[in-house]
Amino acid sequence: MDLQSIEPYSILDARGLTCPMPLLKTKKTLKDVPTGEILEIWGTDPGSKNDIPHFGGKKGNAFLGFVDDDEGYTRYFIRKG
Amino acid sequence: MASTSFWSSLKEEARRNYIAVFEQEWPTWLAGIFLAIVALLIFLWQGPWGVAAGYRNLGDWIVYGAGAGGDRPFSPWLHPITLTNTGLVVGALASAMLSRQFKIHRAPPLEYAKSLIGGVFMGAGAVLAAGCNVGGFYTAAAMFDMGGLAMMAGLIAGAWIGLRYLLWEMEHLQQKGVEQRPSSDVWVKIQPYLGGTVLILVIAAFYGFSWVDKTDLGGLLFFGLLIGLIMHRSRFCFVRAFRCPFMTGDAEMVKVVAMSLMIYGMGTAVIKWAWIQEPSMGVTHNFWIGSLFGGVIFGIGMLLAGGCASSTLWRIGEGQTKMVVTLLAFAITNSALASLLKNQDLYDKMGQGLFIPDKLTWYVTVPSFLLFFVFWAFVAIWNEKSEKFVVF
Repeated sequence: MDLQSIEPYSILDARGLTCPMPLLKTKKTLKDVPTGEILEIWGTDPGSKNDIPHFGGKKGNAFLGFVDDDEGYTRYFIRKG
Repeated sequence: MASTSFWSSLKEEARRNYIAVFEQEWPTWLAGIFLAIVALLIFLWQGPWGVAAGYRNLGDWIVYGAGAGGDRPFSPWLHPITLTNTGLVVGALASAMLSRQFKIHRAPPLEYAKSLIGGVFMGAGAVLAAGCNVGGFYTAAAMFDMGGLAMMAGLIAGAWIGLRYLLWEMEHLQQKGVEQRPSSDVWVKIQPYLGGTVLILVIAAFYGFSWVDKTDLGGLLFFGLLIGLIMHRSRFCFVRAFRCPFMTGDAEMVKVVAMSLMIYGMGTAVIKWAWIQEPSMGVTHNFWIGSLFGGVIFGIGMLLAGGCASSTLWRIGEGQTKMVVTLLAFAITNSALASLLKNQDLYDKMGQGLFIPDKLTWYVTVPSFLLFFVFWAFVAIWNEKSEKFVVF
């Protein structure tokens, strides 16, 4: 899947936040995303590269991947299951 | 045709190992084993591993430097735990640079405020418990001091309270993300050379300490460096063991910390039972009032700050500016509150160390210790499936 062309249902801006806030906000925001839709998360915490993929693939959701943006942050994509 | 000379083979192997060590993240279970081994080496080398006393030393100097009174504090370059802590920060810095990950991270204003308050809570909790998540819990438990287990109960309760606050904050306080400046290509390229230089300088410092007959102190700096490397490469965070069962239900860090403690505890049992070190060594924690309530306060603080005593240090090493605020708040609070309690003769009322083998004998203590941590891990695994303790 081409991550760059994904049109997410919503974007969570967690840039500058550190563990555990990016994961906590991801979990909360995902609750409001309809099944089948995609949540995009922007993060800068290096720990999120472990935490978000690990969490995003659980509970029937699908972690689609992440890309490092040229602007110095990482974009993560989770499809709500 | 590929070259098969000795040097090309060596170069290829070095490149492969460099990628394995500095570009791929280490599994946390491996870090848990390494951490227990290094903690045991520190115990054999000098005494039980701690972190908070190094914060206290820093705080004492800040308070003394500000003219707030007191005697001249212990020299930081001769203070064993300040040296281990310095090694930890520098080891994480070297590790971050060698893996091209060092970067100055800025945070939103609310995060700095939480770092400050979290640092104050952790500084206060570490005074009451006579140690932080390392000295008061991890090491205290492995030394068979009942205070370690009381602090563990406090940390679990404090993590639950801290997490409830974070959930409230998400509902009521909005904060926007902060843009970060991307690293330049040149910076990414030169980082491994700078990281290598830092490593060489620490090793040189070890020889410097030996040169002046302070090999024991140089060794502590070096052990701290190893801990910084281990923690940064695996992103080892004690907080996750207390927070994740309530937050996502994830049991991974509980299993890792439990396993690490079983190794550390068994090693300690061998060393103490054989009288290689004095059996009562490290049994200095404030069981039970100080350890329990100190653990609760410390647990709240580590959730607010987003790091405990050890992870604050390695996160500073990778460039997290908000953790510097935590370090200073922790250090000053710890120093000031310790002086206050001692001046008011309140410190002794917090409790005293209780060496479990004195009550239960070694024969009962060792299997009970193992079973206790196996039980903790199994409860966490069950919770991961049932989400019984997950708060939202």
